Amino acid sequence: MEYKAIIIGGSAGSFQVVTKIIAALPKNYPLTVFLCLHRLKHIRSGFVEALSIKAQMPIEEPNDKDPVKHGRIYLAPANYHMYVELGNKFALSTEDPVNHSRPSIDLSFESVAYNYNKKAIGIILSGANRDGAMGLKAIKNAGGIAIVQDPKECQVPTMTSASISATKVDYILKTEEIIKFLLNLR
Amino acid sequence: MVTEDDVLKFISTIKNVSTYNFTNYSEKSFKRRAEKLLVDYKTDINGLMYRVSNDKEFLEQIVRDITVNTTELFRDPDIWATLKYRILPKFKKNKSIFIWHAGCSSGQEIYSMLILLHQLDLFDKAKVFASDINTQMLENAKKGQYKYRFNLGYLDNFDKVIKENPYNYDEFKEVPYSQYFDIDKAKDIITMKKFLRDKPVYRKHDLVNDGNIFYSKFDIILCRNVIIYFNNKLQNSVIELFSNNIYRNGYLVLGAHESILGSVSNNFDRTKGLYKKKPF
Repeated sequence: MEYKAIIIGGSAGSFQVVTKIIAALPKNYPLTVFLCLHRLKHIRSGFVEALSIKAQMPIEEPNDKDPVKHGRIYLAPANYHMYVELGNKFALSTEDPVNHSRPSIDLSFESVAYNYNKKAIGIILSGANRDGAMGLKAIKNAGGIAIVQDPKECQVPTMTSASISATKVDYILKTEEIIKFLLNLR
Repeated sequence: MVTEDDVLKFISTIKNVSTYNFTNYSEKSFKRRAEKLLVDYKTDINGLMYRVSNDKEFLEQIVRDITVNTTELFRDPDIWATLKYRILPKFKKNKSIFIWHAGCSSGQEIYSMLILLHQLDLFDKAKVFASDINTQMLENAKKGQYKYRFNLGYLDNFDKVIKENPYNYDEFKEVPYSQYFDIDKAKDIITMKKFLRDKPVYRKHDLVNDGNIFYSKFDIILCRNVIIYFNNKLQNSVIELFSNNIYRNGYLVLGAHESILGSVSNNFDRTKGLYKKKPF
């Protein structure tokens, strides 16, 4: 397998897109999928439950120092930054928000880029701020693949446009094309 | 950019000139804190090490900067509801309840506990101890003053834990905020009531070096989102310390996404996000 990890970042307008993507990944999908999504302050719980109804792969919010496993979806817990550390362990932190966000998409993407290098695929979806642009750049610079959702399709295109101007992305795709791309990796 | 080598040199410099030992802090987050220091103090790693070695006050400031102090009133309302309905009522018949907030930061968690104890008529029999490595945070905790607008979530959390009952949606208890804190919207400040502020005993405490400094065992220890900044080895020794100082059938409350690893986990049963010390 050429790739090991997919990391998806999204904010306003991304929930339905994420739901579609993870619903399309089959139960035995071999890669690790990280989700780093901003959520409204008052919706802190229930998110992983909502996603798990749609997902065929096992999905969870990791604890600090949990091992990272293949074939699973991991959702960054509300109000924590989520990192992947060398040795394939999660690290969580409650340090100050970055770009007004905790979890910060940039921080999660950068740690995945550092850990997986060219075996990582980063995907930025709809969102109303610029978080994720630097993270996607880090994925690209480490030799991984950089994908953004087509801004024309995004409910809020700020985040995807920021990513496109920050780095030379590999693909600009609509939701259905993202799904096709991920399924063809197998 | 700070290299792993820089971090090791920095840690050993601090170790040489003080009792602080960050060797077993979680590598990545310590590195990020170090990088932030360089930006905040507009210096490089050598400049930082020079100042740390030659200026005691600066060293103390650096220690305060390195620690992460995020906390809030009734953070994770579900855990507080469990404490309110499932855990604290078990202590009604006890003569006293000993509680330690280890790594209490700016004190919001202490006040959460005090409010809950007061609601359950357990306030007078509670002995509450609080500690942190960061002396500035201890001062903030004693003061019990927080920003109002930035922390509107505190009021939501208060409602969820104190007014509502997640086990019975028909139940609603009207408890005025003014019973426990004053809100000054013009000054943008929440101030905890004096009877709450006067209750805890505060001490500076370093989880790396110091054992139990309170000459008592505890019924409940709260240490939330502290051990995520430690590596496995230090985590285990801290949990060991807690385990040795919790009464049998007492409770350890960690952060919502922290867990006990290694053999010391055998001393506890995990129930609803809390750890109960086994009775044998």
